[in-house]
Amino acid sequence: MSMQQVDQASIQDDARRTEMNRVVRRIEASNSAGMGLLWVIAAIVAVLFIGILIYLIIQGAAYIFNPQFYGTSSVGVGPEIFNTFYILILAEVISLPIALAGAIYLIEYARQGPLVTVIHFAAETLASIPSIVLGLFGVLVFSIAFHLGTSRAAGALALLCLNLPLALRLFEDALSSVPRELREGGLALGATKWHVIRTVVIPSALPGIVTAIILTAGKIIGEAAVLLFTMGLTNPPQVFTLNPLIASATLTTHLYYVAGPGAGSTGLTTAQETAITAGSSTLLILLLLIINLLARSLGRYVERRVTAA
Amino acid sequence: MQVQRRSSGTYFADRAARVIFLICAILLVVVIAGVFIFIGLNAFKVFGEGANIKDFLFSTNWDPTGNGDVNGNPSFGAGGLILGSIVITLFSVIIATPLAFGMALFFTEVSSNWLSRLLRPLIEIFTGMPSVVIGFFGLVVVVPFLQRLVGNIVGNHQTAGYGWGAAILVLVIMILPTIISISIDALRAVPNSVREASLALGSTHWQMMTRAVLPAATTGLATAVVLGMARAIGETLAVALVLNGSRLPPLTPILNLFFQPNVNITQYIAIDFGEATGPGRDAYFTLAFFLLAISFLFVCISRYLASRSVYK
Repeated sequence: MSMQQVDQASIQDDARRTEMNRVVRRIEASNSAGMGLLWVIAAIVAVLFIGILIYLIIQGAAYIFNPQFYGTSSVGVGPEIFNTFYILILAEVISLPIALAGAIYLIEYARQGPLVTVIHFAAETLASIPSIVLGLFGVLVFSIAFHLGTSRAAGALALLCLNLPLALRLFEDALSSVPRELREGGLALGATKWHVIRTVVIPSALPGIVTAIILTAGKIIGEAAVLLFTMGLTNPPQVFTLNPLIASATLTTHLYYVAGPGAGSTGLTTAQETAITAGSSTLLILLLLIINLLARSLGRYVERRVTAA
Repeated sequence: MQVQRRSSGTYFADRAARVIFLICAILLVVVIAGVFIFIGLNAFKVFGEGANIKDFLFSTNWDPTGNGDVNGNPSFGAGGLILGSIVITLFSVIIATPLAFGMALFFTEVSSNWLSRLLRPLIEIFTGMPSVVIGFFGLVVVVPFLQRLVGNIVGNHQTAGYGWGAAILVLVIMILPTIISISIDALRAVPNSVREASLALGSTHWQMMTRAVLPAATTGLATAVVLGMARAIGETLAVALVLNGSRLPPLTPILNLFFQPNVNITQYIAIDFGEATGPGRDAYFTLAFFLLAISFLFVCISRYLASRSVYK
């Protein structure tokens, strides 16, 4: 091997190595650029969300410590708070048993087949229908066909349609998390299916069921579009009653009315309108934060109680 | 005898419970069928009352009560409303999707455990955020911001800032959490063996994500986008508050569309349905049916995609 050949080989080797180095550096650079991009996106989204939350809470913080805000005068939202919880309870009382029963059928009784597919497809479709469309459906069926007019009852029934698919899915998750051995143990002892469901499955699924109830409550409290035409935007003079046949406004629909179509025509000054809108949004956000915390902790608490007992 | 009676009683309870549960499950199908039937039956009435399909889709003069006409003749041109819904949905999805995918990748591939645990509740809170609250935020923050930004360019300072632009930004906030959480599920469904195989071949972390994980999760990610679109097109109150228009503004300059009060389908239903009567009222059921058909289409697409996905 002559000197010249060795030189040539080493030159080629060097060229290949620098080429390799360049490729590696490029790949590494694109890697760190990509990772940097992900960090930047995450930071943007996190800052955006946290910023919105903090802004909305601070914006209305001054108003929600004012006792007048909870009063019954035109600058207070006392009636709206009452209506929000009234309609929440009414809607949940109607929809939870139905959703739970439906979930029990799907998980415990039904065999995989066309019926289950159809029900799941129906649930998915119902969940994706815009709530304003469900509101119009509510007007046609509950207000007109059922002669309920613009009332709390019509609103609660419309909310039932909105709430059913979510509640059903959450209950299904809760029930299907119960291990099969528990059911088989009960059946082997000679209990009927219904007895096993009542005494074994539902108690074991209780943590999931509680979480589901709380999460659907959050959805109902925040809902407005479905109530615009079924429950109305204004309160009658006698609002603190349990009468389900009167129209009434909730926190969300009142907020919409004062900020949107009613702005300037509510007989309030701009400052008073701001007090209502800003205060209501803060109140709604705080309610949702509490609901989120409850959904996390209460489920776990129930689980501990159930498993300890 | 005693035993027999009791067992026949429990047997009866068992059968009764089964039937009741079945009825409750079927109720869901009844509701959805009812929605299609009732809205559908009322949707086509308007075409016997002076509207025709061509004008409905392409004309932009929407005045179903005839209030704006000197002779009181109603006109049913929903072109502007439909255009509004389509434009703000498309733009908001185009803006939100890259952010959402980035965020989902961050959650599944980059972020440490404690950071995820810190950020995850934030996403969940925003998934359940009432749309009217986001609308209020748009009204007091986004609209004034856009007004300051473009007020001098588009003129008409009083109303500048409302319109499609603000609606798009508000919708981005509304659909981001939806797309993020479904994308996270899609990425989580990709088995670790895919990641390990890619890394073992010498990929960097970024190559592994873009060349192996994202392609493997395509159908799931597409489902996320479709469901985001379904949410965007039906979003009502948040959009209604920041659109604040009663008709399509003059088309020139084109910025008018985005930064002057404008319309879309849901906003018009929310504002006008309550006062409409007769053919005017029927026209809103036509709009509702249009929304219903589109969201049904989205559900079908997402189900089709889900049926084709490899990892579930």
